[in-house]
Amino acid sequence: MSAGLTRLWERLPLKKQAAQSSIRVFSNQEQQQQPEVEDDEEFRVLSLRTVKQQFQRRQQVRRDPITPPRTGRMAVDQDWTAVWPGPRSFHPASVPLPLRQGFTERGAAAPSKFANAELMKIPNFLHLTPPAIRQQCEVIKRFCTPWPKGLETEAKWQRHFPVEVTTTDFCHSLPTIRNPEARRVTISLKLSDLKFDSHARDKFLRLVGDRYNKDTDILTFVTDRCPQKKQNYDYALYLLTACYHESFVTEPWEATKSEADMEVYLFERNQSKLSAEGILNWNAKEGAPKVAPSKSYANCVEQLINEGENEYNLGKYKEEVKKMLNIA
Amino acid sequence: MANPPHFIGHRKSWNSWNTSTLKDALRPSQTAIEDVFIRKFVTGTWHALVCSEIIIKRQHNTIRIAALIRQAITPRKMYFLIGYTEELLSYWMQCPVTLELQTVGDRKDVVFKYI
Repeated sequence: MSAGLTRLWERLPLKKQAAQSSIRVFSNQEQQQQPEVEDDEEFRVLSLRTVKQQFQRRQQVRRDPITPPRTGRMAVDQDWTAVWPGPRSFHPASVPLPLRQGFTERGAAAPSKFANAELMKIPNFLHLTPPAIRQQCEVIKRFCTPWPKGLETEAKWQRHFPVEVTTTDFCHSLPTIRNPEARRVTISLKLSDLKFDSHARDKFLRLVGDRYNKDTDILTFVTDRCPQKKQNYDYALYLLTACYHESFVTEPWEATKSEADMEVYLFERNQSKLSAEGILNWNAKEGAPKVAPSKSYANCVEQLINEGENEYNLGKYKEEVKKMLNIA
Repeated sequence: MANPPHFIGHRKSWNSWNTSTLKDALRPSQTAIEDVFIRKFVTGTWHALVCSEIIIKRQHNTIRIAALIRQAITPRKMYFLIGYTEELLSYWMQCPVTLELQTVGDRKDVVFKYI
């Protein structure tokens, strides 16, 4: 009842306007209810008992007509990049393709694209069609610089930039862009790019330890102790520089390296050299130039002791001894 | 689509798409809780209108929410609800939220099979 009253109240100003313009804009339904409020001068009567006239017909739900999907009106040569400019979930009314996705029953066709949640789930690349990529490349081309001259092949740029720096960037679907794993920095270079003497090389390899791969001749530093990528990069370059320069320093205690500390057998500083010289200079006159054992003999002895006794090394040693003593 | 969970990845796909579910990824629990909250909020805001699962895709810092909605309210109300949902969710999640809805005329349109 009260609801009916309020509705009538609301309708009053509308009615005045209609009376002034003397155009009836009301629908039939509203005209039927009007007898009570037909005359503006009269007070309206509050009837407490329900009168049949007061029953209002239930309002029909007005529905806006659903427009048909616009795929039917799309031109064949339309600009697809304007239809689908960015990443977006699939929408059947915008994509003029007869797509199907999902599984209902064995043997049945997959459901069509309308009201299909499966098609909305899977990521689509409708915004990355070849023309779209071409367009975007054209736009960002003005930010590109030409490739530097003289660095056309890999051999050339490796000569100029021997140190390879590897870092990782992470893209997440998170509100943060930080990832603690991104701080790791790996620098690697070929040891042959560094210039050493034999002492410095030996010392450098001792300093870097297992960071040097003997098989590939590649030295690798991995740093992750600082929180930032830049700091770790600086630290890695510092490590490389410090190790390189430290390896050229000869400490006083290094002269006390005895034969027991040697990691390889060296012919020059061993008894076998003295023995060979003794044999070669047998009965030599005083003041005559001393005959030194040949280079190939020295190599052969070093190889025999460093690599161990095998058939090849022993055979070679035999040949060298015969050659040295002029037996053959 | 009436397929049990072990068919996820074969016959149907995930409802949440993000990188937190990858190995050693960041914020897995927070993302899951946020997704639950988004689902509850959307089903409540679009009361008795959501006909499908709510699909939540995250890309960088944006969240895209997709769902099938019944055409039971006027487009005007629908536009209001879209703006309302996007605004409130983007305030709570502190990131841009986009609603990508599809509408269906009848609830039965999304029924593919009776079990």
